[in-house]
Amino acid sequence: MTTPPLLTLGPVLFNWPAERWCDFYARIADEAPVDVVHLGEIVCSKRLPFLADQFGPAVERLEAAGKTVVLSTPILVTTERERAALAELVEAAPGPVEANDLAAVALLAGRPHLVGPYVNVYNEATLAWMAARGALSVSLNPELPAPSVGVLAAAAADLGVDVEVQVFGRMPLAISARCYHARSHGLHKDGCQFVCGNDPDGLAVATLDAQPFLAVNGTQTLSHACLDLSGALEALTAQGVRRLRLSPHAVDMVRVARGFRDVLDGRRDAAALSADLADLVAGMPLADGFYHDRAGYERVA
Amino acid sequence: MPPIPPELAVRRIEAAAAGVAVALAGRTAPALSGRVLDLVVGRVARCHPRAFAALAELPPATLRIEPADRPAAFLLDVGPAVRLRVAGPDDPPPDAAVRGPLADLMDLLEGRIDGDALFFRRTLRIEGDTALVLAVRNAFDGEDMDVVADLAGAFGPLARAVPPARRAAGRALVALEEVRAALLRPLADRVAAVERRLAAFDREGR
Amino acid sequence: MAPFELICPAGTPAALRAAVDAGADAVYAGFRDETNARNFPGLNFSREEMAEGIRYARARGRMLFVAINTYPAAGRVEPWRRAVDDAARLGADAVILADLGLLDYAARTHPGLRLHLSVQASASNAEAVRFYREAFGVRRVVLPRVLTVADIRGLVAGTDVETEVFVFGGMCPMAEGRCTLSSYATGRSPNRQGVCSPAEHVRYEERGEDLVSRLGGFTINRFAAGEPAGYPTLCKGRFAAAGKASYLFEEPTSLNALPLLPALHEAGVKALKIEGRQRGKAYVAAVVSAYRRAIDGFARTGRVDDPGLDAGLDGAVEGGRDTAGAYRRSWR
Repeated sequence: MTTPPLLTLGPVLFNWPAERWCDFYARIADEAPVDVVHLGEIVCSKRLPFLADQFGPAVERLEAAGKTVVLSTPILVTTERERAALAELVEAAPGPVEANDLAAVALLAGRPHLVGPYVNVYNEATLAWMAARGALSVSLNPELPAPSVGVLAAAAADLGVDVEVQVFGRMPLAISARCYHARSHGLHKDGCQFVCGNDPDGLAVATLDAQPFLAVNGTQTLSHACLDLSGALEALTAQGVRRLRLSPHAVDMVRVARGFRDVLDGRRDAAALSADLADLVAGMPLADGFYHDRAGYERVA
Repeated sequence: MPPIPPELAVRRIEAAAAGVAVALAGRTAPALSGRVLDLVVGRVARCHPRAFAALAELPPATLRIEPADRPAAFLLDVGPAVRLRVAGPDDPPPDAAVRGPLADLMDLLEGRIDGDALFFRRTLRIEGDTALVLAVRNAFDGEDMDVVADLAGAFGPLARAVPPARRAAGRALVALEEVRAALLRPLADRVAAVERRLAAFDREGR
Repeated sequence: MAPFELICPAGTPAALRAAVDAGADAVYAGFRDETNARNFPGLNFSREEMAEGIRYARARGRMLFVAINTYPAAGRVEPWRRAVDDAARLGADAVILADLGLLDYAARTHPGLRLHLSVQASASNAEAVRFYREAFGVRRVVLPRVLTVADIRGLVAGTDVETEVFVFGGMCPMAEGRCTLSSYATGRSPNRQGVCSPAEHVRYEERGEDLVSRLGGFTINRFAAGEPAGYPTLCKGRFAAAGKASYLFEEPTSLNALPLLPALHEAGVKALKIEGRQRGKAYVAAVVSAYRRAIDGFARTGRVDDPGLDAGLDGAVEGGRDTAGAYRRSWR
């Protein structure tokens, strides 16, 4: 019998006040049945100063609770300041680091590391190349359909590398140098007044026909729908996917984590979890289209 | 009034002449116009094998090409059997339609103007299967196509008249108003007048 | 020596000839399949057409680059490898690649083949660019359209890789190759299928006097009578957020960095790239000749001040407007 996959918690993508952020990780440490927790401000370097002092204590608390803590690097690194911050993060990180852009992949070469979902790994050749450079785990882009996931997971098993798939949370769709949160408020990125802090799950973006569509999180664009692959957990496990990622939202994430853990352990059925998630994230429809090789917003299972 | 660039003037004349052809196509017996259009398609297949092959490679579909303010529209069948026909009242709805001034449609066909730019200005209207419209546009744009010369090759009198008209852009300017006027007369007169004018033009142009 | 190389798009053999005739130093083109990021119906080159295109460019002292810049599919990397093999066999002057595995394959299999890094790889800092150089011998990088001139200057100074930047055409406000907006709405994406906001998912609807453009079931824009319309590229749509409707991501504008040529030259940029393999040959001819004149004028005078240039470009810009885009910091 194969060991069940690890449950991982991706980094908080949103601009939460420091207090909320700290409380969140304290509760995750104490109560959430996740194996790995990713920390890092990966969306906007301007938000970093508010959290800088909180990382140390959060790491300690999570590790004391038996979680593996991974530091995640920023998605888009362009300015001198961002480059310096990245180099420092990679240099100073005591534990594993997840690379979310090619600069981080370069800086981490030869040292065991993780490859995040913002680095494009679409095929087994790229996966093998990553493994040879020291990748322990590769998180797949949520747009990859089941057949691709299967091929990559099988190749990864041969290489001794984990493959990770996001199973819960809004799907990251795009990153820009431009801040859409600021732009939506008639502000410029340089004088943004941190308006992204008003929207703990992102700013709703609707079509002109008032159909909910996307969510803006600073420079990042997310789906409006919330990914729910609870119905595919059995298939993912059978395919050999070793890590299942939950992406944090301003909902009861302990309950979300317990739900996934219970389904993985066979204590609960997937349909019940889906129903529970639908209640939890009320206002966001659940979607699983990408995995089923359909449009990402669609709900298939 | 600013002078009209000679090229534009020629195009207007050609469009006017083609407009007459379109009008004619709509009113002649279906069998007759069918034969003429088959000739045109045959001509395109011979002169532009790449465009023809690109159209033939597409999944079977029908595109309605509708010159705005003209009494007739065409249906282009793509897929294994490429065919151009005059649209009739009983035809089933097409998969897509493109509508715009005839001169712009001709320019588009020849790649003289950019389809995207036209669309940005809302000169062209697209309905239905946008991919089909783009595929046809791309197929034609990939050729150095000269619709008027091609059609001229297919139609008798135009064969002689049009190529010199293109060469003698300046004189074409003079003919412009006459063609316009001709279009205002009843159809039979119109055609006769244009034919006469083009024939005369042909003689002068040589 | 010319201050810049001018790199021009061709979606068809006719556009390739138009680009060469209008003064392109190099033309970039793709094979007619999913291996390139402009995989649109009726576009691109068969192997024979590519060979013919290379001959046409060569005979006139120009170059041809083959774009193989989508991400090979898991379990099916062969078509991409074959595309690289064929580009090498046909004598392409460079291949433009994005995928690490494919770069690795090309570098190992065809050591003599010049490798350019596609914009779809989104290498946006000196560390990433140096990495591609060291790992695969990449000679040139096409920079993402999210960098400022200052960012570019820093990047050029920090690497020994040639840089190529987009100066005209469609604007991606997102980091290229890292955007799945299209597949979220339609199931088809730039990275996997080489398409963005694909036409088969586009519908136009007339609502009274208004024109509504839709993509995969979502309304992307609504134009009042007489208002310039655009293709419903997802990120150029009008959406409602924070209580008001706006072009949230990007206006339907075209990038036009003509006034920035001196600054880009000073920053050390090697080549200027025009976007638009999906555009017609008329667009290619107009834009390439305007930029040819601008570069030649700049070489002579050190300035870009030919008043005729803008007129030549007017018909080609999207929505009738253009922008210097991210090259100016105010864009952010």
